[in-house]
Amino acid sequence: MTDKFFDLTRRTFLDRVLMASAGGVMATATPWVAMAAGAETAGAGKVRLGVIGTGDRGRALIQNIAKTRNCMVAALCDTYAPNLAKARQWVAAGTPEFSDHRAMLDTRGLDAVVIATPLHRHAQHTFDAMDAGLHVWCEKAMARTIADCGAMVERARTRGKVLQIGHQRMFHPTYLNALRRVKAGEIGPVTQIRASWHRNNAWRRPVPADSDDRRINWRLYRESSAGLMTELATHQLQVGNWFLDAVPTRVIGSGSICFWKDGREVYDHVALIYEYAGGRKVIYTSLLNNARYGCEEQVQGSKGTIEPELGRIYQEVPHRALALQRMQADVKRGHKRTIPIGGATWFPELPVTTPGESLGWGEYDETMLQFEGFGEAVRKGKALPGLLQQAYYASVASLLGEQAMDKGEAMTWPTSLVTV
Amino acid sequence: MRALPATGELCFSAMGTRVELHRFGGGAADALAQAQRAIEMVDDALTIHRPSSTTALNEALRSRQTATITDPILLDALIRIDDARAATLELFDPTIDARHTVGWEALRFDRQAATISCADPIALDFGGFGKGYALDRAVLALQEAGVGCALLSAGESSIAVIGEHPLGGTWSFAIPDPRQPEATLVELELVDEALSISATIGAGSAAPERAAMLRPGAPSPVTAPRTAIVVDRSGAMAEMLSTALIVADDAAALRLHDGARRMRFDLTPAAPTRIFV
Repeated sequence: MTDKFFDLTRRTFLDRVLMASAGGVMATATPWVAMAAGAETAGAGKVRLGVIGTGDRGRALIQNIAKTRNCMVAALCDTYAPNLAKARQWVAAGTPEFSDHRAMLDTRGLDAVVIATPLHRHAQHTFDAMDAGLHVWCEKAMARTIADCGAMVERARTRGKVLQIGHQRMFHPTYLNALRRVKAGEIGPVTQIRASWHRNNAWRRPVPADSDDRRINWRLYRESSAGLMTELATHQLQVGNWFLDAVPTRVIGSGSICFWKDGREVYDHVALIYEYAGGRKVIYTSLLNNARYGCEEQVQGSKGTIEPELGRIYQEVPHRALALQRMQADVKRGHKRTIPIGGATWFPELPVTTPGESLGWGEYDETMLQFEGFGEAVRKGKALPGLLQQAYYASVASLLGEQAMDKGEAMTWPTSLVTV
Repeated sequence: MRALPATGELCFSAMGTRVELHRFGGGAADALAQAQRAIEMVDDALTIHRPSSTTALNEALRSRQTATITDPILLDALIRIDDARAATLELFDPTIDARHTVGWEALRFDRQAATISCADPIALDFGGFGKGYALDRAVLALQEAGVGCALLSAGESSIAVIGEHPLGGTWSFAIPDPRQPEATLVELELVDEALSISATIGAGSAAPERAAMLRPGAPSPVTAPRTAIVVDRSGAMAEMLSTALIVADDAAALRLHDGARRMRFDLTPAAPTRIFV
């Protein structure tokens, strides 16, 4: 891609993001967008990022950082040497490499760190980076415990540092456009969001001879992860909170190791109901042995449905006045007319399969944009507004869901959360 | 001005479809509930989608055993079908035989002893007959409860009315064209009658659990685009005749038709042709 072409596509992308998030209601619902999309180019110099964790996810982030105009990777860190070797190709030659994150923090020359380590390490890495005077961008979920999530928020506040969590859907033009259309009332009041992330694989990585299973497959062990809840559901619970403009009041759920009985400790099937004020719900399922329904959030209102992953909006099929019901009304007002019955074409209520309309703007680069936003926040020393609160509540929701499944009890939304 | 009759309605799921009961004036307060119970009892007896008297009978027939019919509703349904054999030119046949070599004629049905058997493995699927038969029993329940004016529907393809329209005169129904549901194929007037509509095309014809129309003894389903409409005093008879009209060849259909009460339409892409006026 040429620079000129990149500039054009980037500008188009940003225009679309801004268009989707424009207006008073959307500006309130997505306060972070304008600041991120308005990020200035390097100018005085790019924001220097040290990446802690250069596994699969870390390397994907490095590639997105490389697309930004205001950030650069200035150091790499991983405790596993082969990960560092794989990441080297995406950064400038001579970029310093570390196996100990504290050594990287001590070298100075960084403005911020990017944390893409196993979940149970997020909190400590965040504390260490902030104590070293650095801002932090951290992968979701925030931390392994609700207490640690709150402690990360508190540490950012007391140190006066930016803490941003990787929830890229909040920068995705299709999601922004979906929210705009919800706020405009196009699908009526949203009363339910049915979300799923279904895959058909073991979610298990091969273990090299020089490593071990708990290190490579940390997502499968409870010490280091809540499995599907923190690694997948967090994204969609954030969408649920965002679109319902609320946090849950309580959650009930059921989890099981139902299919992959291979020694893993985390559930391979989860099913939860998050209740919100006014009787609204997010119904969530995730499993690892059937991919038919994939990853989606079905935002359901009385006038329509939005499926952001598919980028479609569906209007409810106009309810045909049932002929016999109308006949009753006719009789009551003394009016007699022919009754148009359904005949052999009538059939009970099956799923509606209308194609819907495109939400538009399929191409995107939202992970790049969230880093440009982070770069801008670091430069100004001021977090993108609203972002951390969304992330914090999404992480709490995912961990609360885990507790509900473990205990087999309804868990109410904690009253002891820190203020963001 | 004529006083408007008191009304009442009840909607529920039964016979694999939406059932609606509308009553107008007179009769016992619980008449609709009694009619609902009558329909549900037929559903319980004739369904093959959950354990029932019919599935128990089918188990016996599949293993060539003689089945004793203890369910009075099932026995009555079998008698109705047996009695209608001549009227339907033996074209309504609720038997299922995977090899399509035997049918109702192979059954040894002793209505006095309430037994049934077959030398070959066979089973029964009452299909649309059940809806018409259920409406008949519901009509009876409503009449016994003193209701003199009512409309009953099972999925809007099976209709029965009691008495005249609540505002006087006939009940008038517009039957849609299965290819263009907004277009009317024919309008019919009913009083104290039942109506059955069968079709080989339309929104519901490809739906799960919708059985294809088979001509008795023929292995392949009827694929010609057709709809048959029958009005009869009995809902069960209307269902059997509409099915027979769909599967009949032209010669048989000519013998089955009966002016404005039994009709068949050719629904090829050209304008609808009412084959027998």
